[in-house]
Amino acid sequence: MLNRIFGLETEYGLLVHQDRPDHSPAWFAHKLRDHIFNVQRRGLLDLHHRGHDEPPGNGGFLTNAGRMYLDMGHLEYASPECNSLTDVVASDRAGDLVLQQAIDDLGWTDDLSLIKNNIDHETDATFGSHENYLVTRRFPFTRRGLGPLVTFLVTRQIFTGSGRVGSASPQDAWIQVDRLIVPRAALGHGSDRAPLPYQISQRADHIVNDFFEWVQQNRAIVNTRDEPLADPNQYRRIHLLLGDSNMAEYATALKLGTTGLVLQLIEEGHAPRDLDLNEPVESLQEISQDQDRQWLVQLQSGKTISAIDIQEQFLAAAQTHCRGQDEETDWVLNQWEAVLRDLRGDYTRLVGRIDWASKLWLLESYREAEQAGWQDPMLKSLDLEYHNLNQEKSLYYGLLEEGRVPRLITDSAVTIAADHAPKNTRAFGRGELVKHLLAGGSPSEPDEPRPDERFFPAYVINWSIFQVRGRAPFPMPDPFKTYVQDVRSHLQGVIPDPLSHQ
Amino acid sequence: MKHIAMPERREGPVDPMPKQPGPSEEGGGPKRPDIGSPDKDSLLKRMRKVDPKQAERYRQRTGE
Repeated sequence: MLNRIFGLETEYGLLVHQDRPDHSPAWFAHKLRDHIFNVQRRGLLDLHHRGHDEPPGNGGFLTNAGRMYLDMGHLEYASPECNSLTDVVASDRAGDLVLQQAIDDLGWTDDLSLIKNNIDHETDATFGSHENYLVTRRFPFTRRGLGPLVTFLVTRQIFTGSGRVGSASPQDAWIQVDRLIVPRAALGHGSDRAPLPYQISQRADHIVNDFFEWVQQNRAIVNTRDEPLADPNQYRRIHLLLGDSNMAEYATALKLGTTGLVLQLIEEGHAPRDLDLNEPVESLQEISQDQDRQWLVQLQSGKTISAIDIQEQFLAAAQTHCRGQDEETDWVLNQWEAVLRDLRGDYTRLVGRIDWASKLWLLESYREAEQAGWQDPMLKSLDLEYHNLNQEKSLYYGLLEEGRVPRLITDSAVTIAADHAPKNTRAFGRGELVKHLLAGGSPSEPDEPRPDERFFPAYVINWSIFQVRGRAPFPMPDPFKTYVQDVRSHLQGVIPDPLSHQ
Repeated sequence: MKHIAMPERREGPVDPMPKQPGPSEEGGGPKRPDIGSPDKDSLLKRMRKVDPKQAERYRQRTGE
């Protein structure tokens, strides 16, 4: 898509199937990470402190230039920088593949599963799927400038949500009203309400603010932390944490593609106006929980309007200003239009494309066959199974096997993306760096370090800069550049390519 | 397995690849699922194999 760098970060849940008190999920997570880096040698573990919660060895960059690491007890994968929807979908799937292959390789296929979801029904824990979009520094990053983005994000869940059984416990839920964060129970949304059967979003219950810079306990619709991971004079990184992890490639592409186009509309001053929501956070939760799927919200103007109508206004603006700029844009516009049209009808039209619809259809099929009520605890287990990375067990992959799920990429593209970086972004240069260091034996302890190398780790790799053996740092401030030739030249001066001597 | 044609993964700084989305029913999406079709049985079979206790076993921490 035109002038856009995309990235996805996914935190996985880890389900231990057998009662093994000697092995916690965290124990398995550590073993999987160590297997990926030390046995399968898919990347290089960090040798330096990246932060207070990322000591050396906590994670590292892979040969595909993405990152695998532990975060708050979860295995997390960050895709490399991608300049197309096809690449970001393949790179996202590549993270799933790397992790499932590690499980299989260790012989743990029957012992544990990685679950690509965002909630725990029993503990009310939530964990994220974070989206990253590079925008120019001129992007109007103000409350007023971000108004259209907030409206779009609150309403896009009608096609990006992954769906869930039930809701977060009201006593744990907080919500922003009139710029105050209050317990949701104080709004009459307390424990006396009937249990919610199903809602379309996993994360909506856990978003309590419209704008905030941190990510835990006070999750916002738009995260305001200014960390571009690129030249701060040119770029800003829009970091979103309100979205659900999608299993459907189609939903992933539509989520990133439509959001990318709306960011473009805002950058160019073409976003629809007069659509600011009266209470964005409350609207986010009300849309998700609306059992009638009317998805009505109130605007600041006092007008009541449906989420579909709002989305159609954004679509119309994008049709006018973005149609024809490139083929991915046109694909997004065509599919956006088709999905909004189908959302006005029977939800089963969306099965296979939209995760909340696929999951709901599966659960309804089970309920009908087993005469099960919504309070049957089996439904929560089925909800989890939809997101299982194990293709033999996963309900999503069951749908795919039955030919009900459209694919956007091939399995071979995913395999390639697991080992290789996209060749049209900064990730290419970083991927070459990781491969070069791995081929050279990962010089964590050089045999004969030079005097000026003794006090430096053998390598320090970050998203926008790296340093090898204490030599001059190599900055990579522009994510649109590959830097690959410069990286190769730089490495030849530091570590001769071992492959060139064979 | 159905494929909706998107531009393929780019292997270099090249122009976006061609390939139009393939024509299909309902505006380019997959066919409307036939709820009553026989393959629903295989999905039900898969669902019945799920450990009913696994949601209790999950026990995740809040992340981010």
